Amino acid sequence: MRSAAKGQSLKTFLNGVWRDHPIFSMILGICSALAVSNKVENAIAMGAGVTFVLLATGLLIAMLRRLIPTRVRMITYMIIIATFVIVVDRVLKALFPDISQAIGPYVGLIITNCIIMGRAEAFYIQNNIGQSVIDALANGFGYTYTLVSVAVVRELLGFGTILGFQVMPEGFTKWVVMAMAPGAFFVLAIFIWIGRSLAGMEEQ
Amino acid sequence: MKDKILMIVFVLVLGSILTAALVAVNYVTTPVIEKNEEIATKSSILGALGISFDQGKVEEVFASNVEQREQNGMTYYVAENGDIAFPYSGSGLWGPIEGIIAIQPDFKRLEGITISRQEETPGLGSRITEAEYLAQFQGKRFTEGLKLVQPGRTDADNEIDSITGATMTTDAFIKILNENIRKAMPAIAEGEGR
Repeated sequence: MRSAAKGQSLKTFLNGVWRDHPIFSMILGICSALAVSNKVENAIAMGAGVTFVLLATGLLIAMLRRLIPTRVRMITYMIIIATFVIVVDRVLKALFPDISQAIGPYVGLIITNCIIMGRAEAFYIQNNIGQSVIDALANGFGYTYTLVSVAVVRELLGFGTILGFQVMPEGFTKWVVMAMAPGAFFVLAIFIWIGRSLAGMEEQ
Repeated sequence: MKDKILMIVFVLVLGSILTAALVAVNYVTTPVIEKNEEIATKSSILGALGISFDQGKVEEVFASNVEQREQNGMTYYVAENGDIAFPYSGSGLWGPIEGIIAIQPDFKRLEGITISRQEETPGLGSRITEAEYLAQFQGKRFTEGLKLVQPGRTDADNEIDSITGATMTTDAFIKILNENIRKAMPAIAEGEGR
């Protein structure tokens, strides 16, 4: 029994970080992935924000799953998600004003991040608290490492830095396109390609 | 029927609990956020006036070096050496640009410019916030308006370099500065008895 539960947890975790990876498998949440992946610092903050909201939402919805009336479950997800997003926004503004200014409007857009809504409907409403928390962590981690990998490439080529430290030699010509939206599309597309090839996924 | 009542009760109860949580978060964070904004404004003013300060001591340095004055509903800041700073704002290419302009006591030349908020293209328009770009404003004559010229072609003392690849942003930025200076100068001159 114990090992079965453990196996289930491991499966939930691996699904989140790899097989059902929110970005390259489900192509969810790419709006924010495109928008805030120009600097590693922003990517980490956004990843942490989304992970926190996922975790808090997963926990609360799994706790209330037997109480939530089926007909109003969507609106329930929305108000729960919105509440935690506002908390993240206020805390960022109070403790990390610089980061808050850099990713500004995108924090509010976590509300519309389909990963959270998607996981709530697909997983948290049907599973117990433990599994939901694992799923939230796995999806948050999957989202964050994707954002950070995209951001590493974009910041390195677009600004010549990593986390603000100069990495490229003096006189390196910055690839301005990488700092702008098109760069995000190129890098994210390459990432999805690599991820899908490694996981052996095929379009149906 | 019973289902419907339960549904309404559920939504009301959950809504109230979450709203209460938000009120609590708001109550705790608002003073901290206001303080952050105040410090950001003050360090921007000190930066424009060219007063050096430690990141942690913005308040002390500000209090001992700068005096806030008001005239005709306009707030401006006077440093000990007579430099005067005032806020500006306007529309850049993509979004608002805000910051502080500081002028020298002769009312003819700029002392410094800082930018506290902008939403220009990263790597192109956002380069107006770079220290090297803003440094060129020091000592520039603003009485006949600042003028934008191609990079490296500045000779008159009211000419400012544009940034290659950010023509529209630099153009908008100079317009914002000129307009704000034009609007602010009469009130400041009156307040300072010039």
